[in-house]
Amino acid sequence: MKARAYAAFTVNALQTRLTYRHTIWAGAFGDLVFIFARIAIWVSVYGAAGAASAANGVTLPEMITYSLLAGPLLYWDYSRLLADVGTAIRSGDVAVYLLKPLHYPAYLAASHLGHFLFELAASTVPVAVIILLVFGLQPPASLFHGLAFLAYWPLSFMILFTLATLLGLAAFWLMTVQSLDWFFNAIMTLLSGGMVPLWFFPGWLAAIAGHLPFAWISYYPAAVYLGKLEPGQTLLYFGIGLVWLAVLLASLAWLWSRARDRLIVQGG
Amino acid sequence: MSAIIEVSGVAKTFRQPKRLPGMGGALRSLFSRQFTEVRAVQDVSFTIAPGEAVGYLGPNGAGKSTMIKMMTGILVPSAGTLSVLGREPHAHRMTNAAEIGVVFGQRSQLWWDLPVRDSFDLHRHIYEVPEARFAENLAFLTSMLGMADYLDRPVRQLSLGQRMRAEIAMALLHDPKILFLDEPTIGLDVVAKDAVRKFLARINRERGTTIILTTHDLQDIEEICPRLIMVDDGKLLFDGELPRLRSALGSRRRLRLEFGTDPGPINLTTARLVTDDGAAKHFLLDSEDTSILDVLTELGNGYDLKDVTLEEPAIEEVIRTFYQSKPQLAATTP
Ligand SMILES: Nc1ncnc2c1ncn2[C@@H]1O[C@H](COP(=O)(O)OP(=O)(O)OP(=O)(O)O)[C@@H](O)[C@H]1O
Ligand SMILES: [Mg+2]
Repeated sequence: MKARAYAAFTVNALQTRLTYRHTIWAGAFGDLVFIFARIAIWVSVYGAAGAASAANGVTLPEMITYSLLAGPLLYWDYSRLLADVGTAIRSGDVAVYLLKPLHYPAYLAASHLGHFLFELAASTVPVAVIILLVFGLQPPASLFHGLAFLAYWPLSFMILFTLATLLGLAAFWLMTVQSLDWFFNAIMTLLSGGMVPLWFFPGWLAAIAGHLPFAWISYYPAAVYLGKLEPGQTLLYFGIGLVWLAVLLASLAWLWSRARDRLIVQGG
Repeated sequence: MSAIIEVSGVAKTFRQPKRLPGMGGALRSLFSRQFTEVRAVQDVSFTIAPGEAVGYLGPNGAGKSTMIKMMTGILVPSAGTLSVLGREPHAHRMTNAAEIGVVFGQRSQLWWDLPVRDSFDLHRHIYEVPEARFAENLAFLTSMLGMADYLDRPVRQLSLGQRMRAEIAMALLHDPKILFLDEPTIGLDVVAKDAVRKFLARINRERGTTIILTTHDLQDIEEICPRLIMVDDGKLLFDGELPRLRSALGSRRRLRLEFGTDPGPINLTTARLVTDDGAAKHFLLDSEDTSILDVLTELGNGYDLKDVTLEEPAIEEVIRTFYQSKPQLAATTP
């Protein structure tokens, strides 16, 4: 693997976004409105139950922190990734990537890491600062949980990246992935815990969702940050997450090789 | 090493599921296993030696792009064997890609939003070009192709001619052994075409880079490629040098003799009389070896000869008659 080349893609995506930085304001504003709406829901839920109450042992300040982590930070907007893959496939430009000594999915991961970092700096961090000033944010539950979160974060990024890329590659076989995207996004927002944490789910649904890969996108990293998992569990679930990531990466490698074969045998 | 590219009995057939018209048709075609077959390339064989410059010529849909895609490893042949730099291109995509340069006139490989220079820099990382070598190549290509003015402009702002020069430069930054170009001069004006042609001819001559280019423009071939491969309907029609095509087609030179006074009928063995307008007579030279001098010698001094003109058949003319008659020529490699 040419680490330097892929690092260059990340840097380049970042630079490209910087040249279009005026477009970020709309995005950051959208993020802000969205998170305020979510926090408003939790405030009214908790308000009805009494200010000092703790639902399932979770307090309102914890829920506010959860909303920020599980929302814009971990469940980043992958629509740009889907659009990139879709356009490359429909226009046939994906052949251009085959002409270069490159691995296309790795290229995608590298460049979308760049987009993610840009949005982190230009949108997520400013939004977090505003939330911090308006509502306050919780620090990690402990040093261990803080460090564990730093390990869960890249895992979360890779799982969401892999799932979104798998969906994007479906464009090879389906004319449009739009309806699929809509369906997938709805399922994933629910099962990842991006909107509502798993601890508010009915027991059976939480049990299922807690073992599907989606939960590693938002729920586990945020829950670990807030100290809702014991150290032992934190490590165990990290291991399970890695297994899921390996399974997803293998699926992606397989699907990409199918897509590539289709491209070079059938000519698109 | 004798051959850098070996193509033998290569064919490519595209199978497309049959699309039936209308909504009902769309539904039925989901389940039907009917296919339409397009035979884009049929039983093509040739070999190319290192350092050659070869023009690949043929009308629309002749299978030129398909052949280029197979040689660059992004399309698998349906039959036959293909070897580029001693490897099967699609089976060794990465290694093959690292040693060839490809330009598709219809499809940009530059990063649209980035300045040209940044695209080149990404290219350097992808191909792992040593820094010093990269700087050297960049300086050479920039001055040769006159790109200094727009190196820092985003690709999307460039004119077609500027972009094409940048595409060609990028394809050469990693010192490829072979450069494939699919219609590199498409849509360029006369000046830009000329610049690109001169440049490619020079790269081929000075760096020994093997060049294979497809085109509809015969001048590309005349100025860059001593060797011509002609295809039509997926089949190879001719492989050889341009002058040989002329003689193979029997496209004869035309000689016009103009006299002060009508000398009456003239019969010669070296030239055949085709039109006789009295004072102006047109002859055809049947043999390539006949020179004007031969004809004039045979004619002798007894005539009041005023003017002599010799017309080479225009290459366009040659090719046009070629496509129209589609003669079965023995395709031989030079
Ligand atoms: N992916 C594909 N699927 C089905 N048919 C294809 C595909 N690609 C090319 N063809 C068909 O194969 C034939 C050869 O196409 P190709 O693009 O190689 O022609 P070409 O010689 O490059 O023509 P042009 O001069 O117009 O560029 C055409 O009939 C074309 O329609
Ligand atoms: Mg073509």
